[in-house]
Amino acid sequence: MGPLRGQPFKWHPVFQQMIRIGVEAVPMASLTAFSIGLTLAMQGAHELNRMGAGMYVPNLVSVSLLRELGPMLIAIIVLGRSGSAVTAELGTMKVSEEIEALEVMAINPIRYLIVPRFLAMLVMLPILTVFGSYIGLVGGWTICHFALDMNTASYVSRAVEAAQLGDLYSGLFKSLVFAWLIITLACHAGLNVEGGAEGVGLATTQSVVSSLLAVLVSNAVLTSIFFFL
Amino acid sequence: MKADLPAECSAVPVIEVQDLVKEFHGRVVTNGVSFKVYPGDTMIIMGGSGCGKSTLLRQIIGSVKPTSGSIKLFGEEITTLNEPELAKVRRRFGVLFQSGALLQSLTVGENVALPILEHSAVDDSIVELMVKMKLELVGLTGFEDLKPAEISGGMRKRVALARALALDPELLFSDEPTSGLDPVMTAVVDKLTQDLTRKLGMTALVVTHDMTSAFRIGTRMIALGTGSQQGKIIAEGTPAEISRHPDPMVQQFIKGEADGPIPLRLSKGDYLKRLMGVEANS
Repeated sequence: MGPLRGQPFKWHPVFQQMIRIGVEAVPMASLTAFSIGLTLAMQGAHELNRMGAGMYVPNLVSVSLLRELGPMLIAIIVLGRSGSAVTAELGTMKVSEEIEALEVMAINPIRYLIVPRFLAMLVMLPILTVFGSYIGLVGGWTICHFALDMNTASYVSRAVEAAQLGDLYSGLFKSLVFAWLIITLACHAGLNVEGGAEGVGLATTQSVVSSLLAVLVSNAVLTSIFFFL
Repeated sequence: MKADLPAECSAVPVIEVQDLVKEFHGRVVTNGVSFKVYPGDTMIIMGGSGCGKSTLLRQIIGSVKPTSGSIKLFGEEITTLNEPELAKVRRRFGVLFQSGALLQSLTVGENVALPILEHSAVDDSIVELMVKMKLELVGLTGFEDLKPAEISGGMRKRVALARALALDPELLFSDEPTSGLDPVMTAVVDKLTQDLTRKLGMTALVVTHDMTSAFRIGTRMIALGTGSQQGKIIAEGTPAEISRHPDPMVQQFIKGEADGPIPLRLSKGDYLKRLMGVEANS
């Protein structure tokens, strides 16, 4: 019974959600990021080698992943995996009267259900983004090392040289915004489910579609802001 | 016995409902309902399916806002309270939902422990003891570590009752507490309700279709009407008064007769009218 306790705020549910939203998404995020790093390096090498600029592949991979692809792809993975799960879980709780039961037990459903998911998403998406970006760099290294005969030291030094601290910060800021959008839309859709199983299905679809659009549009807006700054 | 107490009992009513009206999309579900429930009473609310019993209950527990009227719990008007104020009142009562409404992600023990952990500051060992005691009351000792999905519907109902009683509430609301239970368990739950109300002074408001159970535990009863009497109180009194009530609709309901004022079949004219949509247009 101990883990449920902890007045006035319970940290255990937050850690539980951090594991579900973040830790359990690591294999999927790693595979996606590694594939993207690999693909980016291959496509980059194809074009840059024709201009005799193959040595700049690490720069391309590093900047693309930290600034743009890392935050966006990891956000898309998380919204498809965890955003939909949050909506379906809350929606099922709504239609099976569990949320109403919490209210009549004088337990605030926002504090009990939403806050842990919200905090977990805000913490775990940026961490996953940084992690995914570095796994993507490993993907790029695989191509540079084995296909382009670039040594590891040279890859690392070029990748680090190309990426400025601002690139990392802008990626992190984007992932924070994406986390806020994904969890807000997922919880809103889940808490507003009407009807039975059909309502849960519709809300889950709506949550994924609206989160995806929100991530893509906000990414364009944020990139524009960083571009003109 | 509580049933013999005069209606104008000097005690402050635990529940006081006055002229309650609830409309959903222009359809009246609760129609000018007024009644009082005094400490230690077990008030039974009965009526046919769709007569608005559960909606009335949900208005009283604050889950549904009434269109008009007044609801006082422990002397406090709840229709005008904000969420934190309503939460204070809710800590004084327990609710057993028709579906049980257990949290599926928690075990049976954690479900019963939830209100204790949220609203009290006792040690974990005491919480575990309280959980065991409440589960023992409903005959479910040893089921603490199972998930709600791993037990039967009747067991879930009993766990939900244990959860509703977890904080020893002054007032218990039950929506169909004995549906899905076998006759022995129905008698156990009835006996538990009787002991809690008659020996410990808890007040109960029970929505039920089960007439055997209703007459066994009820000290006062209300019957809600259907059709032209939709959502209105058509009978109110002690079980003895209700069993002698002259209204044929009440008699049909308590005797469980297939035909009567609530017809088994529509008349040919009414059937054709409804089929052809004439009634809807008239």
